This record gives sequence, C-alpha cells and structure tokens, in this order.
Amino acid sequence: MKVEVGDSIPSWTMENVTPERMKTVAAILRDPTPIHWDREVTRAIGFEGRLLNQSPINLGYVVNMLVAWAGPTCIRRIRTEFPVPVLDGDRATAGGVVKAIEADGDVRVAECEVWLDRDDGTRNLRATAWVTLDDEG
Amino acid sequence: MIPTEETMRRLVGHRFPGGQYTIEHWENFLLSEATGVEPLPDSLAHPVHLFHVPINGVGTSITELFALAEVDGSSPVSIDYYDWSIHEPIREGETYSLSGGIAAYERKESDGRPTVDSFTYEIDVTGEGGDLAAHVAFRWHYWRIES
Repeated sequence: MKVEVGDSIPSWTMENVTPERMKTVAAILRDPTPIHWDREVTRAIGFEGRLLNQSPINLGYVVNMLVAWAGPTCIRRIRTEFPVPVLDGDRATAGGVVKAIEADGDVRVAECEVWLDRDDGTRNLRATAWVTLDDEG
Repeated sequence: MIPTEETMRRLVGHRFPGGQYTIEHWENFLLSEATGVEPLPDSLAHPVHLFHVPINGVGTSITELFALAEVDGSSPVSIDYYDWSIHEPIREGETYSLSGGIAAYERKESDGRPTVDSFTYEIDVTGEGGDLAAHVAFRWHYWRIES
C-alpha cells in the first residue's frame, strides 16, 4: 500500500444498526442510560421511539475502517466528536481522507479526517485520526 | 434544582480510586461483534474498549459520573468529544492499571437555553510492564433542564 496525501480511505459500512447489539453493549459497558433500550424514553425526547446507538460503537465503525485499511495496530490517536446520534435501523458508512503524512523516526504517520454518515447524508461523527502506515513511503 | 457553579467546580481535581482491569475473551468477542467485526488477531482487543475499560477499571462508573455531576439517568447527557492516544496495542488477557480523575469543568449559560455543565475526564491506562499503554480524555455535557 502506497499512501499519499489526498488518498481516500476505503469506506466501511454497518448495514443495519440493531437494538439487539445496543442491548449487548449496554450490558458490557454497564451503561444505564435508557436511550439505548427504552423506546418510551426516546419517544419522549423526540426520536420517535427509535433507540440511540452508543457513541463508542459509532466510533467502532470508524475504527473498523481504519483497521481494514492500515492494520490492526495502526491507530495512534483518534479525537472524535458526535454531532448527531445514530439510530436503530440506520445504515451507517465510515469514510475518510488522508490530510497529511509526517515521519516519526522510521515510521510514517498519516493524519486522517474521518467520519460516519447516514444514508441521507447526515454526518453522525467526525474525527481526526493519526494512523501508522506500514508502506514504502 | 441546578447545583451551583462553585459546587461543580470543586470537583476538578477529584481522583478516582484507581484499579485494574483485564479484558476477557468473551468481552472482546461480544464487543467486536457489536461493531460488526470478528475479534482482531493475536489477542488484540478492539480499540473501542478504551471507552469502558478506563471508566470501570479506574473505579468509577457511568452511574457515578452522573451522580457526581448531580444528574440521574433520565437527564440529558451528551458527549462533546473522546480523545484516545494509544501507545501500545490493547490486548485481552493483560491486566491494566488505571488512574485518573476530573481534569476540567466549564459552565455555559445563555438566554433562553438550558445551562450546560461540561466535565473533562482523563485516565491513564498502564500495562503490566509499567509502560503507558493509552491515555484517554473525554468531555461530557450535562444539560440542566429544570422541571
């Protein structure tokens, strides 16, 4: 893989965000927030009874994209903001682009702008990731 | 009743008890599957563990963070950002030591909008050999909606 500034990162898609996965994650995280499992609560706060996916899992989709692109230990740092929730039933696609490449000793590190978008174009997540490149430079 | 800004600001510098956490294989399997992938090779843990391992391993919980900010589970809480620095790959079966606390606080007030208290938490994740494996920072917004 020869990576250059301006390259697009191959996208990664979660085809269907499901409530079953949210419930599993709520248990693992010990997250008591009912927005992940109680449709009455999400109806009351304006989401029409759709459940809100956990933010770390949204970030997990972006991580999956980076790992598929640059390897399982590639992420050095990732700083993430979550402007809009992902909801059950959504199809969410992670994407990204290389903004800069710098050398750190013998290693090349790519600064990448990455994101997670719903099919209607809503940007659910935006982040900057610093990724170690195992390429020829 | 909305807690005073002074009361909230006193929480800056609060240290969590600290503790240890070992990611089990079942946990890595289920959390990886929840993101839509199989577990990574060579016992690598999915990086998404850097959300709950620091919180639970440092001796606190989402419930306690809400309680410190004087909100309950029904109050709106939103995430401003996560900032994860990974120095060593996180692995299942390795026991990590966690230390950290509340690093910053800010109150925002504006006419016609709810008061928002923002807390920044920072936690170090140290591997069995004593080297820093990861540092996580995250800021949550607590929305003060008076009923």
